[in-house]
Amino acid sequence: MFMFDAVVLAQILWTGLATSSYMVLFTIAFALVLKVVKLWNFAQAGLMAIAFYAMFAAVNQFQWPTVVAVAFGLLVTLAASLAFEIYGLRTLRARRTSSLMFFIFTLVCSEFAAYALTFIFGTEPAPLFAQIVSPVRILAGIAVSDWDLLAVAVTLVLTIGLALYLRLAREGQFMVAVADNADLAELYGINAKRAFGAAFAIASVFICAGMYLYGARTAVIPTTSLQLMLFAVIATLLGGMGNVFGAAFAAVALSLVQSYSVLVIPSRWQGLIVYAFLFITILFFPRGVNTSGWATRLRVRRAPAS
Amino acid sequence: MDYLYSILILVGIYVVLASSFNLIIGNAGLVSIAHPIFFALGAYTAGLTAIHFGLHAIVATLAGAVVAALFSLMMSLPSLRVSGDYLMITSIGFQLGLLQVIKNVEFTGSQGGLSNIPTPVTGPYRGLVYSVVSLAIAAAVVWMIRWIVRGPYGRAITAMRDDELAFLALGRDAMRIKIVIFAVGCGLAGIAGGLYAFYYQYVSPEQFEILASAAMLTMVVVGGMGSTLGPVVGAVLLIALPQAITFLELPPGIMAPLQGMLFTLLVIVFMFIRPQGLISPEGPTPLPGHRHGNRSGPR
Amino acid sequence: MNRQRRDVLKAAVATALAAGVPAWAQDRSPLKFGLAMPLTGSQSAFGKDQVTAAQWGVESVNAKGGIQGRKLEMIVLDTQADAQVGINAVNRLISVEKVPVFITAWSAVVKAVAPIANREKVLELSVGANSPDIAKLGDYVFTTFPLADVDVTAVARYANQTLGKKTAAVLYINNDTGVEAAKVYRDAFEKAGGKVVAYEAYDPKATDYSGMLLKVRAANPEMVHIHGLITDLPQVIAQMRQLGLTQRVSSYSAGYNPNIIKQLGPAAEGLIVTSLAPGEKDSPELSAYIERWKKQEGRVPNGLPYTQYLHDGPIMVAHMFDWVLKNNLPINGENMRRAMLTIKRFELPLSGPVEVSETHQVVKPVYLLTVEKGQFVPLATVN
Repeated sequence: MFMFDAVVLAQILWTGLATSSYMVLFTIAFALVLKVVKLWNFAQAGLMAIAFYAMFAAVNQFQWPTVVAVAFGLLVTLAASLAFEIYGLRTLRARRTSSLMFFIFTLVCSEFAAYALTFIFGTEPAPLFAQIVSPVRILAGIAVSDWDLLAVAVTLVLTIGLALYLRLAREGQFMVAVADNADLAELYGINAKRAFGAAFAIASVFICAGMYLYGARTAVIPTTSLQLMLFAVIATLLGGMGNVFGAAFAAVALSLVQSYSVLVIPSRWQGLIVYAFLFITILFFPRGVNTSGWATRLRVRRAPAS
Repeated sequence: MDYLYSILILVGIYVVLASSFNLIIGNAGLVSIAHPIFFALGAYTAGLTAIHFGLHAIVATLAGAVVAALFSLMMSLPSLRVSGDYLMITSIGFQLGLLQVIKNVEFTGSQGGLSNIPTPVTGPYRGLVYSVVSLAIAAAVVWMIRWIVRGPYGRAITAMRDDELAFLALGRDAMRIKIVIFAVGCGLAGIAGGLYAFYYQYVSPEQFEILASAAMLTMVVVGGMGSTLGPVVGAVLLIALPQAITFLELPPGIMAPLQGMLFTLLVIVFMFIRPQGLISPEGPTPLPGHRHGNRSGPR
Repeated sequence: MNRQRRDVLKAAVATALAAGVPAWAQDRSPLKFGLAMPLTGSQSAFGKDQVTAAQWGVESVNAKGGIQGRKLEMIVLDTQADAQVGINAVNRLISVEKVPVFITAWSAVVKAVAPIANREKVLELSVGANSPDIAKLGDYVFTTFPLADVDVTAVARYANQTLGKKTAAVLYINNDTGVEAAKVYRDAFEKAGGKVVAYEAYDPKATDYSGMLLKVRAANPEMVHIHGLITDLPQVIAQMRQLGLTQRVSSYSAGYNPNIIKQLGPAAEGLIVTSLAPGEKDSPELSAYIERWKKQEGRVPNGLPYTQYLHDGPIMVAHMFDWVLKNNLPINGENMRRAMLTIKRFELPLSGPVEVSETHQVVKPVYLLTVEKGQFVPLATVN
């Protein structure tokens, strides 16, 4: 019988939060692209794999120091995502392609990336660094590892950074405008294409960070990213399409629910939790969870009658 | 010779899958990706009923089709009120969720798969008999779909796909048509599942993941969405071409990824130079800007 | 001489040859058998090394003159350790290459191709897969490698009786390999007098085991047995240590891999693994074999014991061919099976004596090793 004691609950909370970090990063990347570019970017799986293997090659084959390796990974991912947007998506957009075709295109791109990486790197599972164990300290009965701290820190910094960017920076506000209505934004002189590029660029940063954290802890093979992506997709759906931070919150919540679920169900059923949530969402929110409606209603309520 | 038969049988199975998939997404415009799960449901049902109840292969396969069609209702009833992106994502969730259940439940053989499915045909002519049956079923399915699409029902489906608003304005019931088409398409996938189960005598959950969806989508897209022969061509190409490449005697370590790379590259190139697929859809094509009832917007 | 006479002469010579020369001397074509292994995919690191070992086995047979002057030829096809791909590969081996026997591994593949072997009456030799139900897959499926009940039972008993552990947790991967083996461990441990306090399966695609491990932490076992693949084993152990679990860990032969020590560093200390092939002091040829690996590939092979069995696989097949030819029987699966069951006991250089029987099972001594100061050292031998 599993003891419901405070230390165990606290440990699950901490470890759950720490391991939700990379999921949050992947979810934000996915949700941002969806919001701005209006694309269900299944090519993100390919970009995630590319990010990992670029860093992997830099660390293990070129023997570069970690910071340089991450920068290199970021550059490669950026290049790949921008090439994807400029040469792939723009062409399809110009042809008014249906969303099914876009979906197939993004998925096939991810498949191509997975095969190409298998060709170059083989399929032996490999973590980013030779050792996957990081130093651990016990604080008040809870095991806190260096990796945990790094994960939480990186995620907080990047997420808050993005929030500030979207709210305060001009380019960020332009992105929001394009997300709301691209045609209207263009009328005001905002370059939609630049906003799309910027969205992909930011997504690349989040993807790289996420894969760094993930790869430092677990071994990766070229098809790992597709599995990780599905979580991001579902979290995006739950958080409300078009709501990046709602999606991030959903990612954390889903992660924690999954972690706590071991208290009540056998661990092999953990993977099903995510799908159960999806099913509930479909049943009760057949048009998708639309949170922007709530925000508008709140604002209307607060504004004084004028 | 047996090797050739196994290819022919696979071609037959995938022609049924691609054609039924095309019925759903090409003809009716329903963006569901979950086709492999109905294939799985048919295969597992056929296998389980044969093992535990001793049903004959034909009856078991029909049972598989019925189960697949029933499960399609589970998906279509809640989510067909919406279309486009949302349906697409929920169909993925449905497929993978159901797959998770199959992988964790004892009676399906869980992760290890369902093995020792009895075969109705044994002996030296097994391969021949199965190929004939498989190709005959494939031909029948293609013909049946063609008959549906060409008839008055088919015109209704096309009208609904091209402009659902107008269709509804004319007083037609879009929901009912969607549910029926979906059930028919999924039922046919179930038949393919039965065929598969009795030939290979082994069903494992690995074959029905997202990559299976991608493969079927590719067949339909490359072959030509919305046309009758398009999915047939797509299925034949996707099955025969990789097999042909394996005979090139490349070092095995690089053959699988190289095969995959060439293939996906082919699909990508295809999507750009001939997006309508090898075989253009017959009948009226949707007006530009009116793609499957979706809002046009940046992608 | 004129054309007609030449033709008659040709015919006469041909007839004389056909009549006067014994059957075996006429046919000098190579004797083919199949090898279906993961050359690509997540298990390829093991698969490729096993293929290399098998190739060396074939070479050693041919270096000694082959089988009655005929060369042994091995046809290798990729299975990706995947059931579907394995089925295609074996179909090709049987119908295109027409082999009378093939060697394969990885439980999923072994099970998936069993119906084909039984139907076509081609001998299937499972070398390395250890799911106990392999013994019940049919007349034409045999394992030359001891199944999980052998080594898992040994490691369970050792934990309880020699190490004195009274409680244990069993963590296993939710697939063929894991499910069956976990049952074996639990039954063996409890039969020896111990108690299994946690029994958890994890999804093969899972990467975060914290929840499951916290359950284990709460149950407070004295020993933890993890039955997974090389892809997840180090991760589970790593996360175990990160959560403050300090118990000793045991696994099976998949854990006997230097990569684990590399990935885990000090966290690997004390890990107990099994090996079903003799170590260097029990097999003189083994040292030369390992030396050859170091010289040719610059490292020891992944899954050393498995490669020992794969090296000897072709040698077993060669003995079978030899028997069939000596008894003037046609070369087909049925006769190869007869040969195997008649010869019964094969003295093999790297894996020791292997005795096959109608029970489809093989019993061999289990060698236990542990990690000490970053190296695998022998711990005990269990018979």
